[in-house]
Amino acid sequence: MMQNISIISKTIWCNDEVLELTNQRVIYWKAKKSLILSDLHIGKSAHFQKSGIPIPKNVLTRDLERLKQLILHFKAENLIIVGDLFHAEYNSDLDEFKTWRIQFSNLSIQLIKGNHDRFSNSIYEQFQIEVFKKDLVLNCLKFVHDFVTPSTDYFTISGHTHPGVFIKGKGKQHIKLPCFQVTNTQLILPAFSLFTGLNTRNAPKNCKNYCFTNDGIFEI
Amino acid sequence: MSNFNQTQGYQIIQNWMQEKGHEPFSFQSQTWERYQNNFSGMVVAPTGFGKTFSVFLAVVIDYLNHPDKYKKGLKLIWISPLRSLAKDLAKAMNDAVDEIGLDWAVEVRNGDTATKDRRRQERLMPDVLLTTPETLHLLFSQKKNARWFKNVTCIAVDEWHELLGSKRGVLTEIAISRIRNLSPKLRIWGISATIGNLEEAKEVLIPYDVKTTMIRAKEKKKIKITSLLPDQVEELSWAGHLGKQMSSKIIPIIYENTTTLIFTNTRNQSELWYQIIIDEEPDLIGQIAVHHGSIDKVQRNWIEEAISQGLLKAVVCTSSLDLGVDFKPVDCVIQIGSAKGIARFMQRAGRSGHSPFETSKMYAVPTHSLQLIEVAAVKEAVKQHEIEARQPYVLTYDILVQFLVTLAVGGGFKPEETYAFIKQIHAFHYLTKEEFDWCIHFITQGGNTLKSYEEFHKVVLEEDGFYRVKSRRIAMNHRMNIGVIVSEVILFVKFFSGGYIGMVEEYFISKLNKGDAFVLGGKVLEIQQIKDMTVLVKRSKKKKAITPSWMGGRLPLTSGLTHFLRLKLSDALTPNNRERELKFLYPLLKRQETNSHIPRHDEFLIEMIETKEGFHLFVYPFEGRLVHEIMASLIAYRISQIKKLTFTIAMNDYGFELLSDQEIPLTEENMNAIFSKENLIKDVTASINASEMASRKFRDIAVVAGLVIQTQPGKRKTNKSLQSSSGLLFRVLNDYEPSNLLLKQAYNEVFDYELEKVRLQAAFQRISKSKIILKKASNFTPLSFPLKVDSLRGTMSNEDLSKRIERIQKQALK
Repeated sequence: MMQNISIISKTIWCNDEVLELTNQRVIYWKAKKSLILSDLHIGKSAHFQKSGIPIPKNVLTRDLERLKQLILHFKAENLIIVGDLFHAEYNSDLDEFKTWRIQFSNLSIQLIKGNHDRFSNSIYEQFQIEVFKKDLVLNCLKFVHDFVTPSTDYFTISGHTHPGVFIKGKGKQHIKLPCFQVTNTQLILPAFSLFTGLNTRNAPKNCKNYCFTNDGIFEI
Repeated sequence: MSNFNQTQGYQIIQNWMQEKGHEPFSFQSQTWERYQNNFSGMVVAPTGFGKTFSVFLAVVIDYLNHPDKYKKGLKLIWISPLRSLAKDLAKAMNDAVDEIGLDWAVEVRNGDTATKDRRRQERLMPDVLLTTPETLHLLFSQKKNARWFKNVTCIAVDEWHELLGSKRGVLTEIAISRIRNLSPKLRIWGISATIGNLEEAKEVLIPYDVKTTMIRAKEKKKIKITSLLPDQVEELSWAGHLGKQMSSKIIPIIYENTTTLIFTNTRNQSELWYQIIIDEEPDLIGQIAVHHGSIDKVQRNWIEEAISQGLLKAVVCTSSLDLGVDFKPVDCVIQIGSAKGIARFMQRAGRSGHSPFETSKMYAVPTHSLQLIEVAAVKEAVKQHEIEARQPYVLTYDILVQFLVTLAVGGGFKPEETYAFIKQIHAFHYLTKEEFDWCIHFITQGGNTLKSYEEFHKVVLEEDGFYRVKSRRIAMNHRMNIGVIVSEVILFVKFFSGGYIGMVEEYFISKLNKGDAFVLGGKVLEIQQIKDMTVLVKRSKKKKAITPSWMGGRLPLTSGLTHFLRLKLSDALTPNNRERELKFLYPLLKRQETNSHIPRHDEFLIEMIETKEGFHLFVYPFEGRLVHEIMASLIAYRISQIKKLTFTIAMNDYGFELLSDQEIPLTEENMNAIFSKENLIKDVTASINASEMASRKFRDIAVVAGLVIQTQPGKRKTNKSLQSSSGLLFRVLNDYEPSNLLLKQAYNEVFDYELEKVRLQAAFQRISKSKIILKKASNFTPLSFPLKVDSLRGTMSNEDLSKRIERIQKQALK
């Protein structure tokens, strides 16, 4: 069993909406009782194993346990996942996800399809997931997987890039941390799964980075 | 001897050589006889004296004397580290075989061999196969490969000293043991240049219970080392800024000689010096080329061909031409900057004047004044024949894992039998049964966690007791990843209109934009487009262009050289008549002695200098960059135990600098404690981020063990859903499976190779016996100045740098 995670959040305003960024790679949107997250990549460890690359299985177990604690902590009723929920083919990791899903039968899940989400609709139905091919608009927020063009009408929330920030210190010290990238018109979520790399290039112009560790979240 | 001289085989060879006007060297005939008497062994001889023919003709003579003992198929496997060597060697061997009148086939097999030739060889192996360690392992991954090796009588390992200190050496050790397992009467022969640990080198190559011998050639290569001195000595030695004024001294040497090889230490430097030389002497354009590992293979082959034919006056190169075929026209070598080691220096010098009894001519060009002491040190070392040892790798689990999968792909293996022959290999002498079982578990179940991975079936145990790979895709991926050379992500550079120029690292190109100009292979190129791991370029007319930097260019000084460096410095003020380097440096050395001190061989110098910038602590262990890096963080850590301080750290091959904005609390009273050898490893572990260093080491390990799939340059990124970085894997394994042996290996390699634990301990041992001298200077001293310049370099562009150096220099000389 995993220890309780510490959840620390920081509130920001996006247009007229209040969003709570957390150090656990999700946003809590109180108005909709929703958790917003991206890039779970369920099935990645099993996919690697199938190809002969041994990745510890409990990577997924811990990701799901963390998500469970977040749902219980915020008493969330809905998940908005902006893509890459699943990594590749149907494999044993998805069975584990199925078992996990049963304990939250009242939780609704909305998925905006990412480049990795390639299953037929019947599979998403099995998991009781409502699927959106391109985007989803709620109030003044627009959810997409990969941010392409800026929109003047909406504040865009996306994932896909696995953003990170490179922090340089004295004496050639440096550290890379995952982060939320926020501008006046958009927000990019960090990848939820811990089995993902970080992309420290291609940050949007004039963006603020909210990076975090196990016990804190701060602006760079 | 007399009996052997009477044999038919010996007579035939003797006559053949006589017809060509040669007489065998005594080490050659000694090898032939020992071979005939069933010895394995090692031949140590300088290049140019026919060491190839010592072992090759030994097998030929034995065959001529006992043809009945030999069966059809592969008889001799010849392993050499370089592909380029194989072609010319095969030609020489084929000529010999033809002239002697033997019906042997001598063939090459390596990464360059055409598919149709490979298929033909697989149907019928030649009598002699010239190959590389990697290609041999690839053969092991073929179905029914055992049949090829059953009748092999000899494995010869050429340039064993080159393979020894690398993981490729372990690949070679494994290959020998595997073939010996199939052909128990195998004789094993190594050919090596002189290194510091020849006995150990022989032991690593032939750890078996067989008769062994060491044959050393009496013949010695004469080397003449001359240093090119700048017009005047700067009392403060500029670091890396002598370039321009030295080029005018290089040009006449190029003209005096037929062909000159100009060695630089990095690919970046070779591009820069090529530009410097053609700027100085535009007449040389067309007669001078640049050669390094990132230049396209076709072009490199062309350059090598052109050197052989004497079409080039000079070639600026890197270690890419350290080894390889003999270039007859090369009669002069220039080394720019420090060669960083005695062995490398001699190796490079040996590239000129190749034939026996000719003298190798080497000019040393310093890039800063202090390097002249290094030249003096190298000369002394060469005189005393003191050459560095090469440390063999041990317990490389990554290679073991790779090899087990190789066997599983190539028809399968039984664990008991495999463990038995693995255990005999030097690298795995201390492998426990538990560790071996872990490796089996790792490739069958995926690890040692309680939960097994039900989807992981890389290697499967079958009913007949053999472990095999069943999936074709896994087998294919594995074959593509065999080997231990791990490179950065590399992109090909190609003209838009067609034609390859070379390679650059993704890291370098990611910093450039479309239209930016950079230099490669002496050409100024402009980026047009990047597509499928290929950079498309056109020629640029821009005057200013960036020279790519390639990772891993900076080698530290070897411990052998640093030892002589300390000795030379110790009596630098009283040089003997023939040491013109030290005499030339006298004004600089004098200044060091007046303003501070020159450390004698039993002394250890520390300088404290206060400037506008802050408080500097300069320490001079003369142990090479890597050791200094560790020492610097260690000393910073120990000082910060007394008072909390933030330091900026800089180092070079001579020493390191700690810079702080506050006074550094180092005094005559506490200095012995701060430089104490007590609790050394404990403090080192506390002071460095061992985990981050291990993560870097894990990069190679992950690739070798098959955890990360490499993308080949020029190819589209395949297996996109399987891409992951080794850094990520390192983190995941650290969190979820800390007992993983590959992680353990990464930490071991940090301490043994990165930290050079043994060397670090020896350094502190030496310091503990030395008298520590603490000097306060009012301004930069000749020893501290290059360090200061190096630390500036990190933060500023080159133009500002020279102005800034000039200014500091003036201030210091006031």
